Amino acid sequence: MEIKILFTILISTIFINNYVLSRILGLCPYLGVSKKLDSAIGMGLAVIFVMTMASFFTFIIYKFVLIPFHIEYLRTIAFIIVIASLVQLVEMVIEKISPALYQALGIFLPLITTNCAVLGVAVLNIESGFITQEFGLLNSVVQGFGAGVGFTLALLLMAGIRERLEIAMVPENLKGLPITFITAGLMAMAFLGFSGMKIF
Amino acid sequence: MDYFKEFIKGVWQKNPILVLGIGMCPTLAVTTSASNAIWMTIATTFVLLGSNILVSAIRSIVPTHVRIPIFITIIASFVIIVELTLKAFQPDVYKALGIFIPLIVVNCIILGRAEEFASKNSTIRSILDALGMGLGFGLTLFTLAVIREILGANKLFGYTLINGMKPAIIMILAPGAFFTLGLLLWAMNVIKARKSWFKRTE
Amino acid sequence: MKPADIIKATIIISVIGFISAFSLSFMKKITQEPIAKQEQEKKLAALALVLPGYTVQQEKTVTIDNTSFTFWIATKEENRIIKKAWAFLAEKKGYGGPVQSIVGVDESNTILGFTILLQNETPGLGARCVEVASNETFIDHFITKNVTNKEEVSWFQEQFIGLNAGKPIAIQKKGDWHKEMKDGLIQQNAVTAITGATITTKAVTQSIEEGIQKLHKALTLQEVQ
Repeated sequence: MEIKILFTILISTIFINNYVLSRILGLCPYLGVSKKLDSAIGMGLAVIFVMTMASFFTFIIYKFVLIPFHIEYLRTIAFIIVIASLVQLVEMVIEKISPALYQALGIFLPLITTNCAVLGVAVLNIESGFITQEFGLLNSVVQGFGAGVGFTLALLLMAGIRERLEIAMVPENLKGLPITFITAGLMAMAFLGFSGMKIF
Repeated sequence: MDYFKEFIKGVWQKNPILVLGIGMCPTLAVTTSASNAIWMTIATTFVLLGSNILVSAIRSIVPTHVRIPIFITIIASFVIIVELTLKAFQPDVYKALGIFIPLIVVNCIILGRAEEFASKNSTIRSILDALGMGLGFGLTLFTLAVIREILGANKLFGYTLINGMKPAIIMILAPGAFFTLGLLLWAMNVIKARKSWFKRTE
Repeated sequence: MKPADIIKATIIISVIGFISAFSLSFMKKITQEPIAKQEQEKKLAALALVLPGYTVQQEKTVTIDNTSFTFWIATKEENRIIKKAWAFLAEKKGYGGPVQSIVGVDESNTILGFTILLQNETPGLGARCVEVASNETFIDHFITKNVTNKEEVSWFQEQFIGLNAGKPIAIQKKGDWHKEMKDGLIQQNAVTAITGATITTKAVTQSIEEGIQKLHKALTLQEVQ
């Protein structure tokens, strides 16, 4: 039963409620880092990692610090501080353990702090009511992981399209951001096809 | 005149969304109705104004290497003030904007203006900058929201425009947001190109 | 970095953290009362809407199947006979998060009233479950100020009134609801789905079915005690 729920959460965060194309979160990195496929892969991996970790830590902080002291209203400030310090910590750890990975991810990590999809997933974990559920922590970690994978999927698709758009004949005034937005709109339309999909 | 320039630059010349290209997420996500756009603008401008004033006031005592955490703490505090105030006095607005109120914290416009402008300029200039940027943000949001609400819901401010007409729902869903902003940016580029073309021929 | 710099940075961050915490707790203190009042008023208004004519006697929260379940007991005197009715909170995951509603039923399981308290569905699709079917147009409201044909109740919520919650509620796809459909739908114990948002509709009907089962369990539990 629990496996079924986890699978539903995973599929729905990746495809049905894709954070970028359906919930419209995390657009700054989506537009900023999707020019080249290599950097898109690096950014995607970093986001998956940080989102999963952030879901874990924000859930713990909310459940074991904010609720017992009745200071739920401070959740925004608590979450953003957790995410910012997490990103710093991850950056330092990766630098020590694997310089190669740091080379690949390094420049993207500081950008993630202001990626609204990360704070978004932390807030949505709380709003989805996972806090009172039996496997709430597992559910929210899976939701964080799924959101990261969904973000990466959208980013990679976009990067692939944009690499080809570079050599395509685009009207002068549509070049750059406008055509990127129209492409994103078409992709969002394709992702609308997943809505209403029955999983079980 | 100098002060007026500081104010007006946010509306067109340095419009946060159309020119600087930041703060896209709330722009696209909350523009499903004109009233949402207006409330989002009020909330964001309040936070921007508060953070710009405080950041410019303490700019001389903040050590540079820890400035980002300090700015984020200040911004997050203002966001919570907005959150609590809306929850207490405008619960419907609070419900309609939902998760996008806490997400004002990570709106790049606010941190960007604190870092780029308020930490280097006087308080009066920072206030004007915040108001101008808020106005530019609001006008863009309002334009987007009006287009999307009319086409996507056949409504304006929640009231039906033409009885019995079926709207194009796609415009109020996520794809419509992307299309509208893409076309708006395209229109902006066309206007700019025309202007520079006229200048050259003169 | 010199130790003096670290100490200075620590002091400044702590001072700012302290000031922000202080001002926020002050803010919380001011807004606490209006927020609590809002929520209370909202609850009372919802109860009055779903239990028309009844007076609410008691609010109860019990644990059934490991989840907490809240219901209200209400009574009404009619021809010297005391009639009982109940309202309960129904919740089920919709498309964009939980859809929470409050349902009023009488002794024969007939739905007396139904209103959605919380939803986070897609605007234009699922969010239409709270849409008010108004004929009032923009021009009526702001220009001619002709407000004769104003309706207050959401069409999606109104179609539940009169259905039998004890039996499964069927979902039909007949397009948008209008008054002429009402009798036919009640005979078949069915509702018409919101176009493009069958998941939301299903979440609502299932939450009612699950809720009424829990209500009966809660009532038998009470009688035993």
